[in-house]
Amino acid sequence: MTKTNGMSASAAGQELPPLDSPEVVALHSKMKRRNRRGRVFTYVSAVVIALWILVPIFFVFSMAFTTEDTVRSYPKNFLPFVPFSTETMSFFLSSEGVLRGLANSVIVAVITLVLSTVIAVPAGYAVARYLFPGRDLFRLAVLAVRAFPIVVLSIPLAVLFLRAGLFDSVFSLALMHTALALPTTILVVSSVFASVPYELEEAGQVFGATPLQSFRYIVAPMVLPGIAASGLFTFVLSWNEVFAASVLTLENRTLPALVLTSLSNSSDAFQFAGGFFLMVPSIIFMFFIRKYLFNMWGQVSK
Amino acid sequence: MANNNEGDSGEDPNRGMTGGTPTAGDAEPIQAHKPGWRSRMVPYFLIAPALIYLAMFFAYPMFQGLMLAIFDDDAALVLVDEPSLDGDEIERLTQGTRLNILGRQGNLLTDQSDATDLLTEQWFLVSGEAADGSEVSGWTFEARVRVRDEAADGTPVGGTIRPRLGAGADEATPLLAEPNETSDTVAELEQRAPVSIDDIAILEVWFQVQAAEDPSTASGWAPSRFVEVFDDEESGRVDEGSVGEFTTGFISKMFNDSFFSDAWQTTLLLMVLILPLQFVLAMLMALVIDARLKLGSGFLYVFTLPMGMSDLAVGILFFSIFTGNGLLNSILEAFGILDGPKTFLSADTIPWIIFAIVLAELWRATSIVMVIIVSGLQAIPRETLEAAELFGAGYWQRVRHIMLPLLLPSIQVALILRTILAFQVFAVVIALGGGDIVTVLANETFRQYFEFRNNNVASAYALFILLLSMASAFFYLRAVRAQTEVAKT
Repeated sequence: MTKTNGMSASAAGQELPPLDSPEVVALHSKMKRRNRRGRVFTYVSAVVIALWILVPIFFVFSMAFTTEDTVRSYPKNFLPFVPFSTETMSFFLSSEGVLRGLANSVIVAVITLVLSTVIAVPAGYAVARYLFPGRDLFRLAVLAVRAFPIVVLSIPLAVLFLRAGLFDSVFSLALMHTALALPTTILVVSSVFASVPYELEEAGQVFGATPLQSFRYIVAPMVLPGIAASGLFTFVLSWNEVFAASVLTLENRTLPALVLTSLSNSSDAFQFAGGFFLMVPSIIFMFFIRKYLFNMWGQVSK
Repeated sequence: MANNNEGDSGEDPNRGMTGGTPTAGDAEPIQAHKPGWRSRMVPYFLIAPALIYLAMFFAYPMFQGLMLAIFDDDAALVLVDEPSLDGDEIERLTQGTRLNILGRQGNLLTDQSDATDLLTEQWFLVSGEAADGSEVSGWTFEARVRVRDEAADGTPVGGTIRPRLGAGADEATPLLAEPNETSDTVAELEQRAPVSIDDIAILEVWFQVQAAEDPSTASGWAPSRFVEVFDDEESGRVDEGSVGEFTTGFISKMFNDSFFSDAWQTTLLLMVLILPLQFVLAMLMALVIDARLKLGSGFLYVFTLPMGMSDLAVGILFFSIFTGNGLLNSILEAFGILDGPKTFLSADTIPWIIFAIVLAELWRATSIVMVIIVSGLQAIPRETLEAAELFGAGYWQRVRHIMLPLLLPSIQVALILRTILAFQVFAVVIALGGGDIVTVLANETFRQYFEFRNNNVASAYALFILLLSMASAFFYLRAVRAQTEVAKT
């Protein structure tokens, strides 16, 4: 699917012979007019939708970087970040448990990232490269896990961790998040491996490399960006996850769990600054992941 | 198509493995390695860690969790015919049954796993000189020995036999073969005889009990840890069961929970309100992306921004809009529609809370539907659309008669996914509805666990959500298949 193919309407219209017959000319100009109107409509829709998404984000960001008085004030100032101040932010960061929650969130997300990548890479490679009895069953099982509701899993895991003395630890939460992230990670990694032709690996072996060497020097460099993207996705998933985090932790709250359980008795400033911290990683990471989004969900919809 | 250029170029088109394209999952990989059992095993080794992990942290806890909802760990107390673990069951009493305590006896404690505040007694293995001068040894109850000598760690090592008080009491203290009142007497010791303590046995007290309100039931023995003894020392109740039983009690408790119908109706209402709007909006967004505008990748980035955001953050986002001194009130007042701030998020304005939740969910979860639909759109051959256009089909006709039917599988997947997620909607509702004004199923699961500390009812809620998810997935699979068949005929 190339770019020229994509500009379907006008390109295809021009290929129609004979171009000078009056019917074709009339049809062509009608299509062109319709097309131009359509494009204007499309741009307008695009801008409206983009505003619908951006305005709320923008508002919370400006609230997170202003004085506490402004957060409390009414009616709100529409000018962004006026007056600009780190007062809200420093109030939030100095609140009890916030720094620890931030640290816990980072630790949980990093453990989840490492654990799920280490487990998913071999499995993804197997699904992408080998035809083996049970392959479809495995894919199906992985998809089924993805579709299971999180709430169903967190209560029994909490009970199990309580019994095993692992309750309320960042590590047990990371174990849970890994179970949640693993299916998606496996599917994404396998689609990344599938995009590297096996011939390249084979060629390496023809020239005398062992299978491991050809993996290390040929495949690995090509799949690294994709695997990094899936790792970032895992990180964001863990960073955002709030239900299991609230159920599985008590003292060692992660940031989302902390913000959630203090929603009812915290000030607006605390909430907006918390919202800002919850959103920032995803905004950054979405930028790097967006290329792979369609890989992920194209896979899943198979 | 910005997403799948890499890998496509150098590839043999006949391979069918078009890398990053959405169809990649369909492509069968080539049997890459030489036959032979060793290389046949390689893929299994590779998937083994994932399988083991999912079995340990997914399948097993899932099974346990569903058991919690239907299995009562301590449903009944088993009474046995003798105070020993080997006794035969003669009666089962449910938790809470009033008891008459008829007798008590110590029984060797075999497991100390979860035993914390047990009612216990100690027996000593003592040896000393009998009246006839011979050296004898046997078990006796702790109270029969006055400990006079202790090891450094406090363990009693020696003492004397206590004199028996009271008229007619046997002056000699019997030594038994085992630390058990029913075992045989092996020897006797005079009072005040010095003894050495060779071993200590800890016994748990067992009670012989009978159901107080129903004298027709048999009496039997049960360990004291399951019995709560009342002050008179003669009556008590079954505090906790010793065996589990399958029960529908937790499920009916969930159905009878005062928040259940609210939670369930709100969840359903939100779904009915959100899903149709969401799919229209997602289709619109997908068509915009598919139109390949200039700045297209910028729009794609913005459109997919909410995908990475936590539901809690989005809840806060819309709270900032709808709260009393929030953005919406400010805008309405700036345009002169309102004179002062209106309260949107309170118990008196539940429809507004629902409206805010619908908007928040539309904002948050439409992107993922869009991505799935765009994946589907990219799989539609351009030629098909161009042919339709040449035959005079307008844009909306093409959307209606070509794109939509071909998108049906993608829409099905998105529907299943969104419905499952809709049953789990949680943090948005708490952020906007406070957690008690407007409640949903996932919130009740959380409350049962977190506030009421009732794992079983929480699991019953979780089971309910799971069954709803599975039922709706099944329903969509059937419905869309039926529709495809109608379309074919």
